[in-house]
Amino acid sequence: MLNIENYEAMAKLKLPDNEREWINIRADMLISSFAELEKINTDDVNPMVTVLDLQNILREDITVKMLSREEILSNAPEQYAPEQYDGYFQVPRTLE
Amino acid sequence: MKYEVVMGLEVHIELATESKLFCACSAKFGADANENVCPACAGMPGMPAVTNKRAVELGIAAAIVTNSEITRIMTFDKKNYFYPDLPTGYQITQWSAPICRNGWVEVETSAGKSKITLKQIHIEEDAGKLVHDTRTNTSLVDFNRTSVPLVEIVSNPDFRTSDEVIAYLIKLRSLLSFAGVSDCKMQEGSMRCDVNISVREAGSAVLGTRTEIKNMNSLKAIARAIEYESGRHITALETGCETLIQETRRWDDNAGETFAMREKENATDYRYFPNPELMPVYISDEWINEVRESLPEMAHEKYLRMTEKLGLTEYDSKIITGSKNLSVIFDETLKFFNKPKEVVNWIIVDLLSIAKGDNKGEDDIVIDCEKFAKIMNMVDSKIINRTVGKKLLVKVFEDGIDPEAYVKENELGIAADTGFLEHIIREIISENEKSVAEYKNGNQKVIGFFVGKIMKKCEGRADPQYVNELLRKILDNTDL
Amino acid sequence: MDCFITDYKTGAALNSGCVVLEDSIMQKGRLTTAGSKILENFISPFDATVVSRLIANGKKILGKTKLNEFGIGRVSQDRPDDISGAVTAVADGVAETGLCNDFSGTVRRQAAEHGLCYIHPTYGTVSRYGLIPAISSMDQIGVVCRDLAAGFDILSVIAGSDPNDGAMYPDKVYSYSAASAAAGKNLKLGVPRNVLDLADEAGKSAVMEFAKQFDTAEECELKYFCVYSQVMYILGCAEISNNINRYDGIKFGYRTNNYKTLNDLYLNTRTEAFGLDTKLAAVMGSMVLSQEQYTPYYEKAMKIRRLIKESLEFDKYDIIVLPSGMKGDPYKQNALYALATLAGLPSVSMPYHGGGIHLIANVKNENALYTAWEVTKQ
Repeated sequence: MLNIENYEAMAKLKLPDNEREWINIRADMLISSFAELEKINTDDVNPMVTVLDLQNILREDITVKMLSREEILSNAPEQYAPEQYDGYFQVPRTLE
Repeated sequence: MKYEVVMGLEVHIELATESKLFCACSAKFGADANENVCPACAGMPGMPAVTNKRAVELGIAAAIVTNSEITRIMTFDKKNYFYPDLPTGYQITQWSAPICRNGWVEVETSAGKSKITLKQIHIEEDAGKLVHDTRTNTSLVDFNRTSVPLVEIVSNPDFRTSDEVIAYLIKLRSLLSFAGVSDCKMQEGSMRCDVNISVREAGSAVLGTRTEIKNMNSLKAIARAIEYESGRHITALETGCETLIQETRRWDDNAGETFAMREKENATDYRYFPNPELMPVYISDEWINEVRESLPEMAHEKYLRMTEKLGLTEYDSKIITGSKNLSVIFDETLKFFNKPKEVVNWIIVDLLSIAKGDNKGEDDIVIDCEKFAKIMNMVDSKIINRTVGKKLLVKVFEDGIDPEAYVKENELGIAADTGFLEHIIREIISENEKSVAEYKNGNQKVIGFFVGKIMKKCEGRADPQYVNELLRKILDNTDL
Repeated sequence: MDCFITDYKTGAALNSGCVVLEDSIMQKGRLTTAGSKILENFISPFDATVVSRLIANGKKILGKTKLNEFGIGRVSQDRPDDISGAVTAVADGVAETGLCNDFSGTVRRQAAEHGLCYIHPTYGTVSRYGLIPAISSMDQIGVVCRDLAAGFDILSVIAGSDPNDGAMYPDKVYSYSAASAAAGKNLKLGVPRNVLDLADEAGKSAVMEFAKQFDTAEECELKYFCVYSQVMYILGCAEISNNINRYDGIKFGYRTNNYKTLNDLYLNTRTEAFGLDTKLAAVMGSMVLSQEQYTPYYEKAMKIRRLIKESLEFDKYDIIVLPSGMKGDPYKQNALYALATLAGLPSVSMPYHGGGIHLIANVKNENALYTAWEVTKQ
C-alpha cells in the first residue's frame, strides 16, 4: 500500500477520505501494472528526455516589454486586488 | 582543546544580462514592484521557457576565470517546491549537468596564500522578493527578480578562517566583475552568500555537525556571523549546553546572533527531473575560445600593465584595480587624456573624495569620462589652474556640465594671455619698487609677495607657477 | 452527410473555414479554463501562436470547446470520458475543424467513433505557445476534421517553427499533400499482430479491410506494447504534477475562501478546485519523481521510451496500422494511442468500415498518412 499522504503533501493536497480511498485503489492498480517495467532490460540505455534531436536552441539577450503591470495584475483574485497593495500580490504572512 | 572551524560557501551571483533567463523581461534592478513581469515569470501557463544565450556565455566566462572544467553538454532540470516567491512552483536549475566543476580560486590573507577549490558552478533562475506588510500582517510578493539569471558557485569545505572567506569573496567579486559576468553588488543583492560551518577538534578527520547561515548582507556581517556561529559551536562542544543539529539558521545583524529557521524545509524532497522543453546546450571548444578571447582585461593583468608598462605605483595600481568601475573610468578617461599618472591622481585624490562626500563608493561612481578628461587637459595646458579644475570636477560629477563651456561663460580661464599677464606684472612691479630692490639684493621671499598680489589682481585665474616664472623673467630683465 | 450552417438569404455556408478551439488554447482577453475549476476565471493575456496564425490566414474562430480537465484521459472504468466538445462541434457541422491537444488519445478515439478524422502532428511541428501545458514533452496541437483535406489545410496554417517555443524543429513551413491513390497503394503497411489480437471485432475487421487496399501489408511487432500504458502514465503524471504546481490561488485563478495560513491557502485552493483524475496524476507524479522512486519508475520509463522509439522499423514499413478501439479498460486502451504520443510521431485516426483505424507514420511523414486516406476514399 502506497503512503498516499506523503505524496499528497508534496502535491499540496488534503484529500477528503472518500477521494483518498478512490485514489488509493487507482494508485495500487497503477503501481501493480508498473511491475511489468522491471522485466525489460535497460542497462546501457540512456534516458530519453525529449524525442527531438536538437541542441543549442537559444534566444538573443533582448528585452521585450510584453504586458503592462496592470495587465499582469489583472488576473489576481479580486478581493486581494494588488492595487490596494501598491502593485504587489498578497499572501498570508510567511514566516521569516 | 583546540578546535578547527571548517567552512564551505554557496555564493549566488546575478548575471549581467539585459533580459531574464527564460523570458524576455528586463533583468534590471530597481524597478517598481511587478513592473518587469510577463505571464511566464508571473507563473501563468502557456509560455514555454527559451534559454538566454548571453546567460550561457557569462556562465562560460565564470567557468574560465575560476579555472573550472566546463561540461560540454549542459542541461537544465526542474526543482519542485512551493513558496510564494516561486510562481511556477518549480525552479529551473542544473542538477545533473551543471555548467562546470572542479574549479579553484587563490586567495591571500595576512596568514599567506591558500587555494579554495570549487565543487561546481551551476546556472539557475532567481526567485521573487517577499516583503512583509505589518499593518495587515500579510506578505507581499514582487516577481521582478523571478527568473533573473544566477550562477551558484559552490565551494568545497576548504575555508578555515573568516579572513579567508572575506578574501575569497573579494577575489570572486574582482574576477567576476572584471570579466563582465556580474556587478557583484551585495547591497543590491547581485551577490549573496550562504556559509556552511562546522567545528571539529584540531587534527580530526571527521567533520562536525554542520549548520548553514543565511541572510548576511555585507562582508562585515559575514565576518560577524562566522565569529558568532563558530563560537556557538565551540561552546556547545565544550560545555554541552546545547546539542548542535544540522539546520539552517538566519543571521540577525542587529541582534548579533543566529536563529533557527522554523519553516526551513530541511527534508524537502525536491523531485528533480530533466526539463524536457529545454534542449541540451553543446559548449564547443570554439565557443569557449570566443568567450575567453573576448574577456575584458582582468584585474591582475591590468595591475601588471599599470605597474610595468605605464610606470604607475603599486599603491595607485592596487586602488584602481580593486574596483572594476574605477578601472573602467581609468581606461575610458585615458582614451581622451593619455597621461596615466595624471589620470590616476585625479581619480584617487579628487574623484574619490568627491564621491565619498556624496556617500558613493568606488563601485557606484558615475562620471562622464570625456568631460573628466577635458578638465585634466585644461589644467595640463594651463588654461585653468588646478583649484579651478577641482571645482569644475564637482560640477561635472553633480550636474554633468560641459567644462569648456562653463569655463568660458564664467571666465575662469587663466590669464594665459602672456601680454595681459605681463602687463599686470609690470604694473605690480612699478607699484612696489622697494620690494623689487629687496629682490635684487637677494631676498627670494619677495617673490611670494609679488605672486600673491598678481594672483589677486587676476582674480585667482592665473597659474601660480607660470606667474612665478614670468615674474622672475621680468624681474631679472629689468634693470632699475 | 455534410452539414453546414448556411446563410438563410444566400444559402452560402457560413461555417466553412470555421474553427473551434479546445479550451486549453489561449485567446487574448477571453477565458481559458483547460476544463478546470482552478482556471474558471482566468483571462488569457495573449493569443496562442496557432490563434494568431489562423487569424492572419483569414480563418474564423467560433469559440472554445470543453475537454477533460487538462486533457487528462480517464484511467478507470467507473469514470468514462466526456465527449470532447471539439468532436461534437465538428460532428454537428457547427465548425469545419477543431484544434485539440490530444496527448491522451481520447480525441483520436472519439473522432473515429463519431465518423470524423483526427490529425495528431509530429511533435515539434506546431507551437505550444499559448497552449496550457499538460505534458511538455508530448503536448501537440492537432486537428479534428470531417476529412483530412480540411484538416491538413488548417495544419499547414498553424504548423511551422516559432521562436517562442524552443522545442520545435527548425522548419518554418510545412505543406502537406497526398500522392494519388494509385501511388498510395505502394505504401507499405505494418500490422502489429500482438495488438490486433487485443482489438474488438469491429476494430480487427477495420484493420484487415484497410490492409487489403494496399499492395504490401505485413505483420510487424510492437515489441514494448505491453508497457506502453505504464510508460505513458509514469512520464505523463510526473510532468502533469509539475505543470500544475503553479496553480496556487495567489496570482490568478480560483482561490479558496477557507484559509488562515499560507499552507491552508495552498492545500484548500488546490483540493477544492482540482478534479479526481488530476489529483491522481498529482499524487502519482509526486511519487514517481520522489527520491527513492525516481530510478525504478521515472528514469526507467524514460529509458523504455527510448527503447520504444528505437524499436520501430520505418525502413520496413511506412505506416503502422492499429485499430482505433480495444477490449478492456480505459487504461489498457490508452496503449493504442500512446505510441504516437511517446515517440512524437504523426498519426491519424479515422472511421473505417464500421469501425475505426489509427495510422502512425515516421517523423514529419504526415504525407504518407494523407496519401493512405486518399486510398481509402476509393
